[in-house]
Amino acid sequence: MSPETVTTIKQSSRFWREDIHGYLFLLPWFAGLLIFTLGPTLVSLYLSFTKFDLLSPPRWAGIDNFTFMFTQDRRFTAALSVTFIYLIFEVPLKLAFALLVAVALDRSVRGGNLYRAIFYVPSLLGGSVAIAVLWRQLFQGDGTVNRIILSLTGIQGPSWISNPDTAVYTLVILAIWQFGSPMIIFLAGLRQIPKDLYEAAEIDGASKLRQFRSVTLPLLGPVIFFNLVLQTIEGFKAFTPAFIVSGGTGGPVDSTLFYTLYLYQEAFANFRMGYASALAWVLLVIIGFFTALSFASARYWVHYDDDRR
Amino acid sequence: MLKMNRRGVLKGALGASVLAASGHNASAQSGTRLRAYWWGNPERDRRTRAALDAYQNRSPGVQVSSESVGWGDYWTKLATQTAGGNPPDLIQMDYRYIYEYSRRGTLLALESQSKVLSLAGFSAGARDAGMVDGKLYGVTMGTNSKAMVYDTAMFEKVGVTRLDSSFTWEEMARIAAEISKVNPGKYWGTGDNSRWEQGFEHWLNQRGKLMYTADGKAAFSADDVTAWFDLWDKLRKSGACAPAEVAALNTGSIDQYEISRGTAAMSYANSNQIVAFQAIAKSKLGMSMFPQAKGMASGHYIKPAMLMSVSSRSRSQEEAAKLVNFMVNEAEGVKLLGIERGVPGAAAAQAALAPDLDDLGKAQVNYVAETAKVAVPIPPPPPKGAGEIEVLLRRVADSVAFGRASVKDGANQFHQEAVSVLARG
Repeated sequence: MSPETVTTIKQSSRFWREDIHGYLFLLPWFAGLLIFTLGPTLVSLYLSFTKFDLLSPPRWAGIDNFTFMFTQDRRFTAALSVTFIYLIFEVPLKLAFALLVAVALDRSVRGGNLYRAIFYVPSLLGGSVAIAVLWRQLFQGDGTVNRIILSLTGIQGPSWISNPDTAVYTLVILAIWQFGSPMIIFLAGLRQIPKDLYEAAEIDGASKLRQFRSVTLPLLGPVIFFNLVLQTIEGFKAFTPAFIVSGGTGGPVDSTLFYTLYLYQEAFANFRMGYASALAWVLLVIIGFFTALSFASARYWVHYDDDRR
Repeated sequence: MLKMNRRGVLKGALGASVLAASGHNASAQSGTRLRAYWWGNPERDRRTRAALDAYQNRSPGVQVSSESVGWGDYWTKLATQTAGGNPPDLIQMDYRYIYEYSRRGTLLALESQSKVLSLAGFSAGARDAGMVDGKLYGVTMGTNSKAMVYDTAMFEKVGVTRLDSSFTWEEMARIAAEISKVNPGKYWGTGDNSRWEQGFEHWLNQRGKLMYTADGKAAFSADDVTAWFDLWDKLRKSGACAPAEVAALNTGSIDQYEISRGTAAMSYANSNQIVAFQAIAKSKLGMSMFPQAKGMASGHYIKPAMLMSVSSRSRSQEEAAKLVNFMVNEAEGVKLLGIERGVPGAAAAQAALAPDLDDLGKAQVNYVAETAKVAVPIPPPPPKGAGEIEVLLRRVADSVAFGRASVKDGANQFHQEAVSVLARG
């Protein structure tokens, strides 16, 4: 053994001894990752190729679950289309609304922090039962919304929440109302934009609208992109609003059957854990696809400060 | 002097956690712990907890913890806990699920506990309802039958003071149409029962048919569904029945039924649920059989409203069985639970309850006794997938009510999808 190797071993063993504490402190997190995230994920991959009803052991089923899903399952198609309709309206509207409020709050008005906190409150309430009750109260036939419409226009509106043509849009409104977290991120982004750019634009005679279009939007590109990706993923994962507002059924007539709600029903109401796992993996692929699509499109509309292209 | 370094802290923490864990075990061993689990409503929860407290007070060393959730979440939680090897000791069971759970070995055959739990005083029907393959897996907590719940004040407004058991479909349609005229566009005669499995099942039973065969196949035809949807389509179009938008708000918990929301005068439920309905209702409620048809069977059967089972994995099976006995046989337990879970199966328990019954309780006992005289035999337990089909019926019936599908198309769709759900298992 050459002297060099001896030193290396010594060094590496000292290195190991010094760092072992670091690894030890990392251990709880790492164990958590293994036991609560990675483990179940892999098990669900296995389960997606089985029939499993929780009470008896899983039986291997090959690709049966996936064949059924893509060739016969009409509720799978229904759930997908509900989810896409929801996403198409929810993501852009929520982002636009969050941006609008962020721009309005960006000016240093008195009590600005208070307003920011107030606007964030709906996001904290999340999908609680109280919100479900409130939403039913607002959007049912003789609810608050219809009373306002009636007094303004004299027209009796439908029961928005129990009508299959409109129910999903009440959930879109619920999601838009909870615009807090993208708003906060937009606010942070707005603070990053150098003020002298606006001054220069003003000297050039640009209107407020023009300033927003030519200065704010382009410079906010990366933040908008970040929010877009985040909200799209969140949108696919949306579960609680539909679950509580429809009483877990996704009704009326499956009009609020979000993908995750269908997955939940298959797993925990119909006890098809294998099939539900297959649904979960397909959802993962779909989310992955749309995230990749966002990233691919980003090079055409998102510009970073340090772009050297 | 105590020298502390990082390793020492880690060792100390490890030691402390081991101590904590063993300490926990020690306290658990000193007494018997039972976990009771049921689906319920506030009234049932209050009564059941009072009974559990009474049992703990007279049994030193026994601790009973309890958990109650709504019907919808109940089976999810039970299946997950059972699969996780951590089922409750006392499990409230339904006729719909007892075959599935007992045949998988998750429930205790209660013959083994005959020293502490006796069903000697039970009527044969109430006892046999908990038997699977010749063994007892569930003790009937109370019996009930389907029942129509109606608002007596609204009925009086249109001149109907008393309903007798011959209340027919035609009378129902006529009375409902008249009630709908009282407060047009806001209040209707009858809630929509086309979307509820128990309504369709009753209609089938009335015609001597079944919903499911004993071997778990669909026993109804697409034509049956057509006739059923058509019946309600006509009621809807005549204005007697609440429209789709109102019906769709009913998610199936008692407070969401039309009669509880104050949108219709008749709702369709089970006789024991009158207690919970009345707790919400503003005016006095009455109870009657579902509408009858001349020359046909009543379509009603007497069934266990719910059963109580003991987990086969319970570590205190005898104590759990004793507690079940307390609830169904001993006067103290029976009185605390009252009649909220239905009419008790044991004659002695019925007698113990009799002096304390209020009008509602008397009406319920009377109703079950009267219905028993004209009842049809209890159908075989529904197959796996029946729960899914129940939801399917709601979905398809709603799409017919909203005019998205014709009566005939809806009926065909329901039949077809029900058959494929049963085939898929």
